[in-house]
Amino acid sequence: MHDPGHRGAVSFLAMPAIVVEGLERAFDKVLAVQGIDIVVEEGEIYGFLGPNGAGKTTTVRMLTTLLLPTGGRAAVAGHDIVKEARAVRASIGVALQEAALDPLMTGRELIRLQATLQGIPTAEGRRRADSLLERVDLSAAADRRVGGYSGGMKRRLDLAAALVHEPRVLFLDEPTTGLDPVSRKTIWEEVRALNEGGTTVFLTTQYLEEADQLADNVGIIDSGRIVAEGTPESLKAELGNPHIQLQLAQGSIAEAESILAPIGKLLPTKDGSRVLLEVENGAADIPRVVRALDEAGIGVEALELVKPTLDDVFVEKTGYHLEDEIEEKAEQEPVGA
Amino acid sequence: MSSWARNARVVRALGMRSVRQTFRRPQLIAPIIVFPTILLAIQTGGASGALELPGFPPVQSFLQFMLAGAMVQSLMLAGNSGGIALAVDIEMGFTDRLFSAPIPRFTIVLGRLAGTAALGLFASFWFLAIGLLFGAEIESGIAGALLAIFLVTAAAMAVGGIGAAIALRTGSASVVQGLFPLVLVVLFLSSAFFPQDLMIEPAKTIARYNPLSLIVEGIREPMISGIEVGDTLYALLAILGIVVLGLILSDRALRHRLRVG
Amino acid sequence: MEATLTIPAWRTNLATIGALMARAKNELIRVPGAAIPGVLAPTIFFLGLNGVFGALTQLRGFETGAYESFIVPISMLQGAGFTGAAAGVNLARDIEQGWLDRLLVSPAPRWVLLAGTVLAASARALIPATFVLAIALALGASWPGVDGLLITFFMVAAMAAVAACWGSFLALRFKSQSAAPLMQAGMMALILTTTAYAPLALLAGWLQDIARVNPVTQVVEAARQGFVGSVSWAETWPGLLALAGLLAVLGSLALREMRRTAL
Repeated sequence: MHDPGHRGAVSFLAMPAIVVEGLERAFDKVLAVQGIDIVVEEGEIYGFLGPNGAGKTTTVRMLTTLLLPTGGRAAVAGHDIVKEARAVRASIGVALQEAALDPLMTGRELIRLQATLQGIPTAEGRRRADSLLERVDLSAAADRRVGGYSGGMKRRLDLAAALVHEPRVLFLDEPTTGLDPVSRKTIWEEVRALNEGGTTVFLTTQYLEEADQLADNVGIIDSGRIVAEGTPESLKAELGNPHIQLQLAQGSIAEAESILAPIGKLLPTKDGSRVLLEVENGAADIPRVVRALDEAGIGVEALELVKPTLDDVFVEKTGYHLEDEIEEKAEQEPVGA
Repeated sequence: MSSWARNARVVRALGMRSVRQTFRRPQLIAPIIVFPTILLAIQTGGASGALELPGFPPVQSFLQFMLAGAMVQSLMLAGNSGGIALAVDIEMGFTDRLFSAPIPRFTIVLGRLAGTAALGLFASFWFLAIGLLFGAEIESGIAGALLAIFLVTAAAMAVGGIGAAIALRTGSASVVQGLFPLVLVVLFLSSAFFPQDLMIEPAKTIARYNPLSLIVEGIREPMISGIEVGDTLYALLAILGIVVLGLILSDRALRHRLRVG
Repeated sequence: MEATLTIPAWRTNLATIGALMARAKNELIRVPGAAIPGVLAPTIFFLGLNGVFGALTQLRGFETGAYESFIVPISMLQGAGFTGAAAGVNLARDIEQGWLDRLLVSPAPRWVLLAGTVLAASARALIPATFVLAIALALGASWPGVDGLLITFFMVAAMAAVAACWGSFLALRFKSQSAAPLMQAGMMALILTTTAYAPLALLAGWLQDIARVNPVTQVVEAARQGFVGSVSWAETWPGLLALAGLLAVLGSLALREMRRTAL
């Protein structure tokens, strides 16, 4: 009997949608995922944040039964990912990083195929396909080949296909990477709407803003370990202290840093023309900073009090900026890769 | 440095790249060597009864007869493969880098042909080794072997020129790859696999006029009897003809490519 | 809502296989010229072999004076081998491009996913087979009779399934299209190290030994019987048995790799 993700039983509602305990994945001698623990409650949007190579995609592939863990265990929608893999697949929708689309098929054909794969009867599958295509605003392009779709259209189609069987849990692996801001906003709206309808969403992203905007809870992963977890607000509050961002005259950074070191905590910067100083008393520390620099004859071109962001949380936990990682890795990748 | 020396340096550098590319990817060499070897084994085993046919040239063994055909098959595939490699370079934009450098255009093609020649050389050694391993003798000894090696290498370059011309004209690797069946057709319509006189019409007549047959005979004769000046000259003429054709087509294709970008 | 979603598993499986076969045909219909190589290669081989080795029928021991009749089933089987191997290459491409993940993440059983690829190849192999047969008949090959023809086409379809299992096994093992030459070469060797070119007695010693133990020899003889003589059950059942054995072995290997893809 095929019962994809039906949420009738009370016991399902009480059980978290995703439970991960000590999950591990090794490739030869490299531990890509090093014993992580996650709990995602039913109806939550969980943001899994980290740079490329941190282990996000490996984790998602394990939870979606595409990869076997080499240690630990996990349950998705109440089913063990190893022992009850098929039941997991029946309960989840997946939109992977490499949108797994066939360029020779039309959008409508793809969703109908997905419906068939999920065991949905033909007539019902067709009805759902039409409705989903309208929902993601692809009705006009539904009978055109996917090969001619833009990046944003492909992602929307991928998302629609993941929803055809009304899954309990939706996995989105970097759903807006490479999209323009407008397409990104469209996807965000869709994710929010889905979540309002009761779908649990496990979302991986390298975009801080995305995690900040969408997620109820955020897990930060770096080099295979979870380094922080909590709501975006609580994570930022944990950092506590805001920092002062100073734009100084050329050549004076080193001297300024030595002067400011006793006043607060110096933070790493993305470029060499600013100083970031974490201070305990917020705005109240500004006069002290300005006075110290003035006495040393160092000109301040601009000054800003910045409250903690998720990037700051990231820096605090890992020692580097997430956005730097993304830029660096983008530079390393050959053109057209 | 004289321009001749400069050009030679460029050809050498591009040639080294071409050879390195060729031999760094075994999965690309395999079809050029493995398929003809399998076919050689099967055809030798399957059709060896042909030795009994009246009119079959006197040979030590069917394998001895077939070796030349296997070499020619290999060099044809090598030429096709060189064309594919050039087409990939075009698709990737690498040739733009070369076109914008202060080098004569012909050095680009020549450099590519160096890789094809290297493959041809490898193929000739391979099949000679196979032949000797399985008991086929080369009637004219070392001289015959060296002649075979020279003819195979030269023919590989000649065919490579045609492949390069097609690559330059179309700029598409899949088009060049799609010409592989044509290679088979030309081979079957020659005396690569069977004595011309014992073939069935119309293949027999076509084989008589197919320049590839001349090349095959030029390689085969030293193996099954002795070096015949006539056969060798005809083979060289055929190779020269293909070289000239390749040059004309390449030149036209290059001009076309530079015109349309 | 629940009632409309509850359909028997066998129906879902059949529908999935049908949908995957329908997708496979897209490449033939929607890519201009995609069908040509699959048809061209066996046709060229047929015409080439006929032109080159046709005189072999003069030798004692040949059951027929027309080489076309002797080798047309080989060319048809070669087409099947080529088509099946191409299915493997397509699967490798699907793996490289992430499409297979979409199938693996669905609740469809692994054997159903494999069956879609294999059956599509079987159906597709009938195209080059028909083309080669038409050319052979035009050139004077004997008409094999309806029974002979049906047996030949069945052998072709089943051989394509065998080749698709082989190709799929390699695709899942290496997860790369660079395994393509191995897929093609493997099938070529299997089909041609048989009584492909000549009857058993006329083959060289070493090839005779291989042909004797090669199960595809039985397939070749079964497919050929109508073209060189009369059709009989005695000539047919060994070929069926050989195909069943090959499908069992290669199919299991492919299925095992499909199941292991998550490892």
